[in-house]
Amino acid sequence: MVLVLALGDLHIPHRAADLPEKFKSMLVPGKIQHVICTGNLCIKEVHDYLKTLCPDLHITRGEYDEEARYPETKTLMIGQFKLGLCHGHQIIPWGDLDSLAMLQRQLDVDILVTGHTHQFTAYKHEAGVVINPGSATGAYSSITYDVNPSFVLMDIDALRVVVYVYELIDGEVKVDKIDFKKTTQNAN
Amino acid sequence: MAKNEVPDWLNNSLWSCRTPQQPLTPSIESEDTNRSSVNLPVPMPPPAVIRAEPRPEIVSPLNSSSNLHSDDENGSATISSTEDISRQDQLSQELSRKIIDMVEVRRLASQGVPDGAGIRATVWKLLLGYLPTERALWPTELAKKRSQYKQFKEELLMNPSEIARRLEKSATLENDGTGTDIEGKGVLSRSEVTQGEHPLSLGKSSIWNQFFQDTEIIEQIDRDVKRTHPDLHFFSGDTPFAKSNQDALRIILIIFAKLNPGIRYVQGMNEILAPLFYVFRNDPNEEDAANAEADTFFCFVELLSEFRDHFCQQLDNSVVGIRSTITRLSQLLKEHDEELWRHLEVTTNVNPQFYAFRWITLLLTQEFNFADSHFIWDTLLSDPEGPQETLLRICCAMLIIVRRRLLAGDFTSNLKLLQNYPSTNISHLLYVANKLRVKSAG
Repeated sequence: MVLVLALGDLHIPHRAADLPEKFKSMLVPGKIQHVICTGNLCIKEVHDYLKTLCPDLHITRGEYDEEARYPETKTLMIGQFKLGLCHGHQIIPWGDLDSLAMLQRQLDVDILVTGHTHQFTAYKHEAGVVINPGSATGAYSSITYDVNPSFVLMDIDALRVVVYVYELIDGEVKVDKIDFKKTTQNAN
Repeated sequence: MAKNEVPDWLNNSLWSCRTPQQPLTPSIESEDTNRSSVNLPVPMPPPAVIRAEPRPEIVSPLNSSSNLHSDDENGSATISSTEDISRQDQLSQELSRKIIDMVEVRRLASQGVPDGAGIRATVWKLLLGYLPTERALWPTELAKKRSQYKQFKEELLMNPSEIARRLEKSATLENDGTGTDIEGKGVLSRSEVTQGEHPLSLGKSSIWNQFFQDTEIIEQIDRDVKRTHPDLHFFSGDTPFAKSNQDALRIILIIFAKLNPGIRYVQGMNEILAPLFYVFRNDPNEEDAANAEADTFFCFVELLSEFRDHFCQQLDNSVVGIRSTITRLSQLLKEHDEELWRHLEVTTNVNPQFYAFRWITLLLTQEFNFADSHFIWDTLLSDPEGPQETLLRICCAMLIIVRRRLLAGDFTSNLKLLQNYPSTNISHLLYVANKLRVKSAG
């Protein structure tokens, strides 16, 4: 039972001041084992804050990040799943499923986590699953102003993943979940 | 060790803590003299109401190495003497009856259960009420309890993901495995999370929140289990045997904490659990030894039920709490040995809480070596007056036995003595404790 927090596109301090209060009260250290961040934090203080949640932190570079040394893409293995991480501004058209699927096959991962569109989506296709955790602060994106703060918490348990989606809609936290299993020997 | 080596000042009325002329022998059953302080040489008898016979002490090798402190006695390590064997036989005979006479078993056990036949485990199980007195019922009772324990383990040790999965499985049986495999294309369907059952939930009823709160307790239990009896290979070390024993202890404590939210886990419970598990696990009967974990759990619950108020912090100052028990010990000492009481509490200001707290809450497991504490527990569990009363009497006896040193000491030396209680002849200790009962009755 491994809990993985996926979030990104915070754009602190340029487009947002901080995470919403309700999100912050839920994110306490000690519960989460890994944090993966799609990028666009943008400053070191946010990095430090995420580090307090959990020491195992993975970040990829977004186009506005002030830290130039984050990698463009990252892959990691958690439980039986291979996760891929990329900010997503590199993949054009932005948010297009087929292009993202291409990146997924390239990285050879089961779950690809990208951002940049600031909209939560979760797609599946033959090669795997693509998740976009949206923007954790609700900052406006290059595409739209209408953004709800959201992030994703994945509960990885052997061959099964339960994805909990946390969204702040009208000041209230709504939680949904998505369930999927990996078929064994999925050698795509 | 030869009996002549005991200095003769040991051999006087101070042991009996009252007038020396009282002939105690007649008032005590014949078996008790077997446990009397052995090495008092016959020629010096005045108050030596205690018969000087080479006492058949059922001493373990550990006790026989007890060093000769100035006022300690030697444990004579005669492994088998006639009295021992006869008691062992008597006990075995009792245990093999169809309907066991508990009064008789208690009487025999209160003098110490001999190690030879490995019957201690069964005796303790009987004394704690785990096994019924009717022998024929044993298999069914054991099977029932053991399966109940197994069920506890399954239910209570699940982590929340599994719990959620089970709930879903029962709710949506028509879905194939309630999960979409990664095939096909399209947006993944979302389902709403009910009642705040998500991992970051801060709600009190959320299984996730409870899980994370339990994690703290589990960490504490883990730390304590690792520290239990580091000198014994049974519990510590890298062998798989030791690890499995530690695991068993841990699981028992976790399940106890989950089943008793009022008291949870308190440091020290591991020390009370350790002798129980050790004895049961070393049961020569293989089936019993394999199921030691389940048996220990129920016996632990039973034993702790008598003493659980000592572990509850809110009850500290109440009538049933630890403070009042310590006060009772103090009263008992005052009754039996006013001079010592006065010296300890008034003159040298040794507050009984400084030493008696550990004696009482941990049932004397930390004051004596492991094997000796088994003998003390034999008496503790078998006494018809109940474990708590017996415990107080034994503590009082512990004080009386070292009274000379206490009377001669000041605060520092007394505290040091009582917090590192010197090793003594256990049978003598229990004998004195027994006499305290006789006295207050008369």
